[in-house]
This record gives sequence, C-alpha cells and structure tokens, in this order.
Amino acid sequence: MITLDQVSKSFQNNSGEFKAIDAVTFTIQDHERFGIIGESGAGKSTLLRFINALETPDEGAVMVDGKNIHQLNKSALRLYQKQVAMIFQEFNLLNNKTVEENIRLPLELHAYPETIPMETVLDFVGLRDKRGQYPKDLSGGQKQRVGIARALITRPKILLCDEPTSALDLGTTKEIVDVLKKAHDTFGMTIVLVTHELEVIKELCTRAAILENGMLTDVIKIEPPKNKKSYSSYRKRALEVLSHGSD
Amino acid sequence: MDPTDQLLSERIQEYAPRLMESLAESGIMMGFAIVAAIVFGLPLGTLLFLTASGKPMENSWLYQMANIFVNIVRSFPFLLLVIAMQPAIRLLYGRATGDPIAASFPMMLIAIVLYARFVEQSLLDVPRGVIETAQSMGATLPQLVWKFLYVEARSSLIIGFTTAFVSLISYSTIMGVVGGGGIGDFAIRYGYQRYETDVMYVAIIFIIIFVELIQKLGLNLARKIDKR
Ligand SMILES: Nc1ncnc2c1ncn2[C@@H]1O[C@H](COP(=O)(O)OP(=O)(O)O)[C@@H](O)[C@H]1O
Ligand SMILES: [Mg+2]
Repeated sequence: MITLDQVSKSFQNNSGEFKAIDAVTFTIQDHERFGIIGESGAGKSTLLRFINALETPDEGAVMVDGKNIHQLNKSALRLYQKQVAMIFQEFNLLNNKTVEENIRLPLELHAYPETIPMETVLDFVGLRDKRGQYPKDLSGGQKQRVGIARALITRPKILLCDEPTSALDLGTTKEIVDVLKKAHDTFGMTIVLVTHELEVIKELCTRAAILENGMLTDVIKIEPPKNKKSYSSYRKRALEVLSHGSD
Repeated sequence: MDPTDQLLSERIQEYAPRLMESLAESGIMMGFAIVAAIVFGLPLGTLLFLTASGKPMENSWLYQMANIFVNIVRSFPFLLLVIAMQPAIRLLYGRATGDPIAASFPMMLIAIVLYARFVEQSLLDVPRGVIETAQSMGATLPQLVWKFLYVEARSSLIIGFTTAFVSLISYSTIMGVVGGGGIGDFAIRYGYQRYETDVMYVAIIFIIIFVELIQKLGLNLARKIDKR
C-alpha cells in the first residue's frame, strides 16, 4: 500500500518560490492500477517521483507498506528502489546498448531475488527478433516496449509510468496500453500511471486522482469501458473533431 | 660546404639517429601526458560535471575549486607555465631541465585540465533522462558514471581525447626551452637556429603525418562505437 500523506513541495522559479505540490493525500492499494491526471505542469511527474524517492517532499510523508521511504537509510532505500520500476515518456533507453543489453541493465546494478528470463520477457513484449538492434532502429512503440521489458525483468512490485504513451500516436498508444494491461494481468504489480490522456486512464486504470496546480481535487472511480471498441480509433476521433465536433 | 648541396637522402641518413632520439623524447612526453589525461583528467572532468548545480553530486564548493583550478591552468600562457613550474618540478623530480621526464610535468598538467573540460562537455551532452533512469533503478554513483554516463558519452569522450592529443603535440614542441627535447625542438634547432630548413621540413612532415594519423584513428573509432 502506498500512502501520500499531506505531501507538499516547492520549487524556485524566476518569480521566486512556488508550490508545485500542495498538501496532497491519497492511498493506492496493492495490485491497483491507479492513474494521476492533470494538465501539463500540474505536478503529476513530481508526485510520481515521490514514490521512488527521486524527489523528496518538503512536508508530509510517503508511506509504502508502513514505512516512510524518505527516512530509509541508504541501503534500505536501495532495497526499496529495487522493487519499484519506472517507464518514461521519452523511453530513456541507452542508445549505445542493444535492446537486450538495455533490458538487462537493471540486473547489472543489483542482484534481484526473482527475475524473468530474457527469452520470456522478449516474447512478452514481442521483441525477440529485435534483441540485437540498437534503439535508433526502433519505432517509438518498440522503444517503449523495451522500456517495459526493462522494467518487468526485475519483477517489480510497483510500476511507475510517466506519460508512457504521450510521445506515441493513437494506434501505438493502444498497443502499449495492451502490453501494460497484460503485464498487470500476468504479474499483478501495482501500477501508478501519470498522463494527461484521459482515454489511456480510462482503458488502464480503475481509479484516478485529478491534480490541478499541485492540488488534489478529486479521486474518482473509473467506469470500465463498456466494450472493447470504446477506445476510439484515429478515424473515429478525426471524424468527431473535424466533422460533427465542436463548431 | 653548404649543407643544402648534399642530397636530401644522405642528409636524412646523417640526421636519422638524432631524429629518432627526438621522436623518442616526444614519445615520452606525450606518453606521460596521455596517461595523466586519462588517470586524472577523466575523473576531474567527471567531478566538474557531477558537482555542478542540479547534478547528482551537487556541491558548489567542490565545483568552484575544480573549476578555478582548470581555468587558471588553462589561461596560463603555456611557456610561462613551463617556467613557473620549474621549482616545483625540481622539488618533485630532482631536476627541472635537460630531460624529457622533467619536461613531462607541465605537459601532464595541461593534459589534465584540457581533457577535463572535454569530458565535462561530453557528459553535459548526455540526455537528462539517462541520469533519471539510472536513479530510478537505484544506481550507485559509480554505476551511474560507468554504466550510464560513460556508455552514452563514449564516442564524444574519444573525439575529445583525440582533440586534446593533437593540442598536446603542439604544446610539446615548446619543451625544448627547458631541454626536454622532442621532435619540435629538433625542428627548431635545425631549421631555425642552423638554417637547415630541409631537415626542419622533414621533422614537420613527421608531425603532420602523426597528427593526421591520430585524428583518423580517433574519428574512426568514435564513429564505430557510436550507435546513436
Ligand atoms: N526540479 C525542478 N525545479 C524547478 N521547478 C520544477 C522542477 N520540477 C518540476 N518543476 C515545476 O513544478 C511544476 C510541476 O512539474 P511536473 O511535476 O513536472 O508537472 P507535470 O508532470 O504535471 O507536467 C512545473 O511548473 C515544473 O516547471
Ligand atoms: Mg510530467
């Protein structure tokens, strides 16, 4: 269980100090698929980065399984961070490493108690035939699948996703959402997903927090999509917006 | 007899032993400088990068110390640096003039700061997300440096090294003033002081070929390992 308890964080900008996160409180259950939505600059990434301690709140606490993760000593923190994986909007692959080397990277840093065999994880994300290639030869969707494989290989208990589909087109977005869903069905980790794309949240998450100017306004339960087609195709969306959309 | 009346080949033969000796002296100075660049310049450049504001080891005091050191050494006119270092070299090595090892000290110092700046710049060119990713995986600082930063910066680290190397060759030609010898000293002594310009041109051609070779090698290697 992840609990953010009255967390706040200020940053410096040109006009002085401003509160990027303002007394935010919510709880995420184990195995949940939880979304954080809000416009650009709302503080979503900062909030997500509290959970793996890349960012430290000025006030408040982030409790994971009863422990305040920002008060852990160095080795305990590392032990905790090993159980938390992250995927990124810009994929963040190492360009000088092959697909397989990228996926194996976390295993080179720490010993993990339980990992997924390389073959299995490559098949899981459908990249077996790309294993020897470099990121520059992959499409955006393929790069994100490498990112997902790199996260999954360590069997994380928590998977943090920071705008994982925001650099992708609609069809590829659906692909990635499906891979993430399949990962959740198979491994059951807690997923915390940050995005401004409402459709992605609707497809993937069961609850979501709405963030506005660093403040939490709502935590809502998400209605599961009525049928598989609810995820609108590019054509459907184009027709909606361009012909009978807003006038 | 006017030396230019002799056949060039004969004259080259006559000067070959002295030329070889000069090349060996250059080799010693360059060797020390290169080792210093890698052993001290690489860590110093990495320190500059890591301790800068907003970076993983942010420490403005350390950064300022390193930065000022690099700036001072770099802004010293090299000839004055060589002369200013004489007492220190005498203290460390026993003698300050007359052999290429003594002459290597200023070469090492300039090599360190020269390469440190290249290293710092190479690391600054690594995308921000790389550090974020390393941190999200709980990487230690040495892991961040070796398994992420140097991997992504490797071809630009090599190009920087090549550029530093070429500058160092140029710096090494000055070392004759403190009796360090070397191919530059050879060229100056024969060409400028004794008006044996043909010998000087032979020496210069050696230098040019060598620089070209290093540059080609460096660029080819950098290109080969760049998968971006
Ligand atoms: N390290 C930082 N230094 C200064 N300002 C920051 C920093 N990180 C985030 N911010 C600011 O905090 C606000 C929230 O950022 P972020 O959490 O990235 O928002 P989001 O992910 O919702 O777009 C933004 O105004 C951003 O510019
Ligand atoms: Mg963001």
